[in-house]
Amino acid sequence: MNYGITVAAILTLAIYSFLYKDNPFYKAAEHILLGVSVGYFVAVTVSTTLIPKLFIPIFSEGKLSYIIPGILGMVMFLRFSKKLSPYSRIPLSIIIGVGAGVSIPAMMQAQIIAQMKATMLPINSLSNIIIIVAVLSVLIYFYFSQPHKGAIGVGAKIGIYFLMIFFGSTFGYTVMARISLLIGRLQFLLGDWLGFID
Amino acid sequence: MGQNDKNKMGIQGRHFIFILMAIVVAAPLIFRVGLPLRVTAEVRQVYGFLDRLPPHSAVIFSFDHETSTLPEMVPLAEALLRHCFRKNLKVFGMALLAEGAAVGDDNLRRIGSEYDKKYGEDYLFWGFRPQFTTAILALGERIDHEFPSDYTGQDIRSFPVMEGIENYKDIAAVITVGDGDIPVYWVNYAQARYGVKIIPAVTAVMATTMYPFLQSGQLVGLAAGLKGAAEYEMLIGKPGRAVKGMDAQSGAHIFVIILILVGNTVMIAGRRRKGR
Repeated sequence: MNYGITVAAILTLAIYSFLYKDNPFYKAAEHILLGVSVGYFVAVTVSTTLIPKLFIPIFSEGKLSYIIPGILGMVMFLRFSKKLSPYSRIPLSIIIGVGAGVSIPAMMQAQIIAQMKATMLPINSLSNIIIIVAVLSVLIYFYFSQPHKGAIGVGAKIGIYFLMIFFGSTFGYTVMARISLLIGRLQFLLGDWLGFID
Repeated sequence: MGQNDKNKMGIQGRHFIFILMAIVVAAPLIFRVGLPLRVTAEVRQVYGFLDRLPPHSAVIFSFDHETSTLPEMVPLAEALLRHCFRKNLKVFGMALLAEGAAVGDDNLRRIGSEYDKKYGEDYLFWGFRPQFTTAILALGERIDHEFPSDYTGQDIRSFPVMEGIENYKDIAAVITVGDGDIPVYWVNYAQARYGVKIIPAVTAVMATTMYPFLQSGQLVGLAAGLKGAAEYEMLIGKPGRAVKGMDAQSGAHIFVIILILVGNTVMIAGRRRKGR
């Protein structure tokens, strides 16, 4: 008998018991999930990141420059002290500064320029026309400096219809995803645990 | 009828739907129907790209998901890994979310053993890195600097599979098995900056987020959700759990459509009754 599968099956049923109503079994399973997740995250971070990327370079390889980011990382914890919390902004400012510097050009390239290029299409097929009209009309809908009247109003209205289609397809995919999770759990319960299906 | 009775009836109605949904999903899993399944162009693009790669090309599998989405992520990863191992590609695993690390390591070892692949010679699991933006960018400089040791703590330069692998220029594609926004970060930082080929294997929820990148040519293709996994299983000729789950998926969708139609009909009829 595989005890791991039995424990997982019992925890799955405990979580699904919430569908009836909130109960101690659900709460226990939820707390186990939280505790295990946090414990696992800390263990993995220490063993696969802090040790090979910080402790080994400093203590085994003598790379003393690694002490600086190490100290900056620890300064982040000063936010828990009322007196010393302003110092925690120093590493935070470095993260924000570097993060913005790295992400702005990348986002411009990947999300704006590449997407604009993808919209500059020849008007020779129905799908190209739909893409162009959809992009322009949705942009018009999100243009708030003019009242949505006249030509802008018509464009915005078309934009709303495209947005509704987008929301509908996203909702459809979401339903599909949630059903997939249920299928996965039932395959586990009926197959791996009870052996009714292969 | 008092307020309490109304609440009680409401709860019973909700439970009725839950039980029906469980039956609708469970029945096709026990009694197979075998509804036809069509392979979409975006999944075929992924298959075609990987199939055309020469043997020993290197691909990265980044397990960028948590355990809550395993029913979608594992069939996708398994199908793609089977294809890569069958094609004798070098497979490198990594994770940008901690929970993906254990899952990824297990997937690689399990599917690798099906094809007699050896850890360190045919595939390697680098492990987990937090701060995914930094990790994605760092791989473009030196992989062994970002991952000096593998998941088991051994020096990655000691493994034969790492021979000739320095950075993205030696990587044919990155397959990001993700349940959130991380595949978008791969596009932003690895594709836009280094020109890396990105293959997203994502949850169905993320599909609509990925389509604009697919249309703009920033992605090789797209395999989304359990359906994407089922399509890929069909393409590699090894139907698995995803294909078996498709009958249940179709049944559940029909049930949801019926519920929406009945719910709206009841609501419209109720409004008309009130209007009289």
